[in-house]
This record gives sequence, C-alpha cells and structure tokens, in this order.
Amino acid sequence: MLLQQVSGSDVASSGLKPVVALDPRQKVAGSVMRILVIEDDREAAEYLLKGLRESGYTVDHAANGKDGLFLALSEPYDAMVVDRMLPGPDGLSIVESVRKSNITTPVLFLSALGEVEDRVAGLKAGGDDYLAKPYSFSELLARVEALLRRAGAQPENTFLKVGDLEMDLLARKVIRQGKRVYLHPREFRLLEYLMRHAGQVVTRTMLLENVWEYHFDPQTNVIDVHISRLRQKIDKPFDKPILETVRGAGYKLEV
Amino acid sequence: MGWFKRLYHSITFRLALLYTLMFAVSVSGLFYFVFWTTSGFAQRQFEAAVQAEVAGLQESYQRSGTGGLVMAINRRLDPSRREGTIYLLVDPVGTPIAGNLRSWPRNVAVDDLWVNFNIRDLERAPKDLAEARALQFFTPEGFKLLVGRDIREQQQFRQQLLQSLNIGLAMTVLLGLLGGFVFGRTIMRRVEAITTTCRTIMSGDLSKRVTVVNAQDELGRLAQSINAMLDQIERLMRGMQQVSDNVAHDLRTPLNRLRSRLEDALRKLDNPSHVDAIEGAIGDADKLLATFSALLRIARAEAGLQRNFAELDLSAIGEDVAEMYGPLAEEKGLSFTARFEPGLWAKGDRNLIAQALANVIDNAIKYSPEGGAVAVVSVLIKGKPAFVVSDTGPGVPDEFKGKVLERLFRLEQSRTSPGSGLGLSLVQAVARSHHLDLKLEDNHPGLRVTLTFPQSVPAPAKIQDSIIVETALDAGNAKAA
Repeated sequence: MLLQQVSGSDVASSGLKPVVALDPRQKVAGSVMRILVIEDDREAAEYLLKGLRESGYTVDHAANGKDGLFLALSEPYDAMVVDRMLPGPDGLSIVESVRKSNITTPVLFLSALGEVEDRVAGLKAGGDDYLAKPYSFSELLARVEALLRRAGAQPENTFLKVGDLEMDLLARKVIRQGKRVYLHPREFRLLEYLMRHAGQVVTRTMLLENVWEYHFDPQTNVIDVHISRLRQKIDKPFDKPILETVRGAGYKLEV
Repeated sequence: MGWFKRLYHSITFRLALLYTLMFAVSVSGLFYFVFWTTSGFAQRQFEAAVQAEVAGLQESYQRSGTGGLVMAINRRLDPSRREGTIYLLVDPVGTPIAGNLRSWPRNVAVDDLWVNFNIRDLERAPKDLAEARALQFFTPEGFKLLVGRDIREQQQFRQQLLQSLNIGLAMTVLLGLLGGFVFGRTIMRRVEAITTTCRTIMSGDLSKRVTVVNAQDELGRLAQSINAMLDQIERLMRGMQQVSDNVAHDLRTPLNRLRSRLEDALRKLDNPSHVDAIEGAIGDADKLLATFSALLRIARAEAGLQRNFAELDLSAIGEDVAEMYGPLAEEKGLSFTARFEPGLWAKGDRNLIAQALANVIDNAIKYSPEGGAVAVVSVLIKGKPAFVVSDTGPGVPDEFKGKVLERLFRLEQSRTSPGSGLGLSLVQAVARSHHLDLKLEDNHPGLRVTLTFPQSVPAPAKIQDSIIVETALDAGNAKAA
C-alpha cells in the first residue's frame, strides 16, 4: 500500500522534471562530461548517442575497434561505453590496450554475452562495469553516472550524510533528524549503497548486483519489497520522504 | 562380486575368453593328432619287430622241427642280446620247454593272436609288476609259442608324451588368456579414450576432440567419424546460437528503442491522462524484454559450462535467497519458514543455483493462497545435499508435472497470474547443466520441489559456523519497538 502511495507522488514529480539526475556531470567537473561510445551497431549507437546527449553529455562515437582505440588513446574522456564484439580489435583488447597506456577512464562494457564468465573476462581486462544486452537506456545511464561518480569520488568514507540522514558505518548507526533508525543488516547495506549514490538513479539490477551480490533475474520485483520496508523506517516516521521511485528506471535518494 | 560382474561385462575379458577358447580347441586338436600318430607309430613298429621274430622262429621250426625251435629260442635268450624280450615254448600239456617265462600266463584267450599280461622280473626287480604284450604261435604238434616284449617303456613314452602335451595345452590356455587380455586391453583402451572424450563433450565442452591413434584402422576411422560428427554439431550449434543471438539482438534493439521512446514521451508528457497508457506500454515492453532475456538465459544455462563451477556453500545461498524472498511472502500474507542445514557444499555456478532456487521460491509464493505457507530447507537426502521448497498452493496435477518444465507452458489455472512460463524451464536448464535431480511432488496440498545435487563436496579450507540458522522474517522490528 505504502509503495503505491509513494509511487503515485513520484509520477507527478517525474512529470515535472527530467528523470535523469544532472548532478554527476555538474559536480565532478566544471565543464561538460565527455563520453566515448564504441559500438558498431548503427541503430543501437544512434539511440545511445541521442539519449546520452539529451542527458547533457558530450558524446563521441566510433563504429569500429580501430577508430575506437585511436580515440580512446588520443582524447581525454570521462567515461567509455564499449561494445564487446566489434569489427577490428574487439572490446576486450581495446580496454586492455587503454589500461596498458595507464589511462584509468572508467569503462562500461556492453555485451550480448551476459554470463558470469564473460563478465569476469570483461572486468579482468580492465572494465569497471558490465551491462548485458538487452538493457534499458535508463539502466545504462544509471551505470554510466555511477562510473562518473566513482571516478571523482573520495576514498571510502565511514560516515555518510545525505540531507538530514546520517550513517555511521563503524558504529552501524543510522540517524535521521536526530532520531535513531534501526535497520536489518541487509536494509543497512541497501541504504548505504543508496547514500553512496545519492542524487543518482540506482536501478534494481544495480541493487541486486551490489547489495545482494548476485547476477540473476529475480522474476518478481523482490527489490521493491525491500525498498518499501526501508521506506517504512527512514521515510514514514518523518515529514519529508527522501527515497524516490524513478518510474521505469529505479530509485533515487534525494539530496 | 561387483568386480567380477564388471569383469564379465567388459569386452576385454570376453574377447580374451573367446580367443583363448578358440585357441585351446585348435591346439588340443593338433596335440591329439601328434599324440595319435606318434604312439600309433611306436606300436606298429613294435608289432612289426615281434612279427619278424615270430617269422624267424617259424622258419627254424620248419627247417629243424621242435628241437631247432628250442635251440633258436635259447640262442635268442642270450643275455648279451636285447633286454625285455619274452619267449616261452610249452608242450601241448602246458609244461614249459624253453624260454624265460615260468609259466604260460593265465587269463589269456586262445583265439587271440596278440595277448597282454603282467610279468615280474625275478632277477632284477622282483617287486615291480610290468606289462607285456606278446604274439601266440601254435605248432601242428600242439606246442605253443609266445613271443613278446616288456611294453613298460612304450607306455612310459606314451605317458610322457601325454604329459608334455597336457602341459603344452595348459601353457597355451594361459598364454592365450594373457595375450587376449593384452590384445583386448589395447583395443579397449582406445575405445575407453573415445568414451571419456564423449563424456567430457556431453558435460559441455564441445571443443574437445577424440585423439586419432592410427587413422588407417577401424578404431581410427571411428574416431575420425566421431570428430567429423562433432565438428558438424559444433557448427550447427554455433549457427543456431548465432541465429538466436541475432534474432534476440535484432528484436531487442527495436524493443529497447521502443521502450526508451516511451520513456522519453513519458518525460515530455503534458497530458497526464496518457500517463497510464504509456506506462502500460513500457510494462509490456519490459515483459517482452524479460522473456527474451529468460530464453537466452535458459539456452546459456543449458549449455552449462562446468569450468565455471566452484564449491558453493548451499546454506549461504539458501539464506541469501530466502532473505530476499521472505518479505515478499509476508507481503502476501504467507507464513515463510527457511531452515538450512549448515556445512552443505556442492559444486556449481553460484548465480545459476541462486537463480534456480529463487525461481522455485518465487513460484511457491506466487501460487500459494493468502494465509498459506511456504517452506524452504536444505538437507542431506541419502548423503546428497538438496534444496526442498514446499507450498500450499494448488500444486501441479501428475499429468502436467513434466509439462510445466517445458518452455512457455502454463497451466490453465495460472494463465491469468503474472509470469512468463519460463521460470521452471530455467530451473530445469540449471538442473540439467548441474546434473541436479529435479523432482516435483505432491505436498498435500500444494507442490513440493526438490533439487538434489549429484554429490556433496567438502567445504574449502575455511571451517564454517555450525549453527542452524532459522530465518523467520517478521514485518515488525523488535529492536525498534
């Protein structure tokens, strides 16, 4: 029931302003963020470029491995989105070469091969995240933004603060508006992840992968149930809800 | 007895046995022939010699009568001559006249020309009974003459011959068995190598090939045929995967675009009355995308790559998944119990096992009516670790128990509830690649699903907590109260 109400208010808010959080691109650097997309499929690339540009990024595109590698080595980017299967050098070898040249730009792999071994191979080659096709654009955007945030992030804090919400990771304590909030261990980790990505859209898959550490399809939206329980504790007792549902994408902790 | 049965059923053993049997039969035939000709030859030679002697004595008799015969016998009894010869001449009454036998042997038929009897050499070996064979001869006056030989030597020769032939036969059988084994093993080892390779391939590594030892022989040709067949299968499979990947890609790309356009439209929408319609369309697109993903996942899970398998702590996975689904069950007003026996380890892919368990639990929650109960446990069943998930839903009628595992099959009664009809197919695919035993049973009422692992493995070096974890998730928060 509660889930329903909160979602309802979100629809109204998402109708008024863009779903995409603009924070990372403004926060991390003064100028506009540059993203390199290496994708051979023309149509897929087109809609990726359009989406990223509409979200406020400057995007370069390479349609094959050779051009992609050249751009990746010669231009400074804030993030790269690399398809694994490409004509010319494939995604894996591009990222390996890039890493050998001491370029630490975060890389998001895209691939039709979504299985664990492919994921592991991608991460081993120097990728930072791995997104299996089919993906929704909001999923991709959320992950790109998480990567951009990570690139400019501070070393792991043991104390997090988002608005009037505070989390002490050493004492395992959560306080909102000066009142202690008691959470189950999993709810604590869920909130920690949301707080570390405050202001950003976090998808259900990202939560499953980072909070539960599983890569699978949970059929029903089990994540929603956990979020709703978390809301009961961090939002319901207080006047202003801060955990927002982003329709068709995921969740966002308001800054 | 197990090893004997195994031995008996091995082709090596049976080949060796057959080979030895055939060899033994032909060798004994050959030996019998040798024995028959050799001993027959010796007998004929002996008889010819005795007959010649009788002929000589007959001549002396015809020339100079009985007296000449006696003289001839005495001459031949000269000890400097051949040993072992027997002579006896008796008168019509039976009184010995000449010769070296004491008396006419008893039990000798008159009408037989050749007779056999026992003799004893009183001078040299009075205790040994020897056998003799002799020829009878009658003179017109009624005198009887016996000319023979001690045949002990001959019999000894025959016995020795028989003995050595028997030893020869025994050695042939032994060597034959040995040879058969060696011969059979060399062949069977090559066949076994082919079998091993085939097993590896069946467990998911299609890149393996049978080693061709000798391309010219039958086994070599068999290996080549198998390899050619594997090449073709691999080609076909790769083709099929290519097609399905392409189809999935070609259909998913426009689907993705459709979805993001809808998302875009939703963002820019001025008229809130269209929101529901567009959100519904996004939901439909998501369902289609989820079905595609599930189909691809099933295909990948079925291909099962065992090289990704690791030792898994089943209770840890069980707890994670139960913890994930517990709140969902409670939201539906179900009682949810999870109980995991600690220390159960098995080999597998962590994500696929979690996915399979999650799908089964998800189904149990989905189909249990309000107020029902869902239980998830991990136990050892006959030494094998297993997950058991039971619910109090409508269950699955026996005739559909196999059917519900098929792709996209749904029971009539569940058509209206959400779901793709792929949940259990994915469980089945995971079960296949992990060699799990997937059983659907009646829970009276409801369904009980058992996923049994083929074997348990010891926990890796780190010792696990031995506390039985009971997860009874409650909606309230005791600490907060």
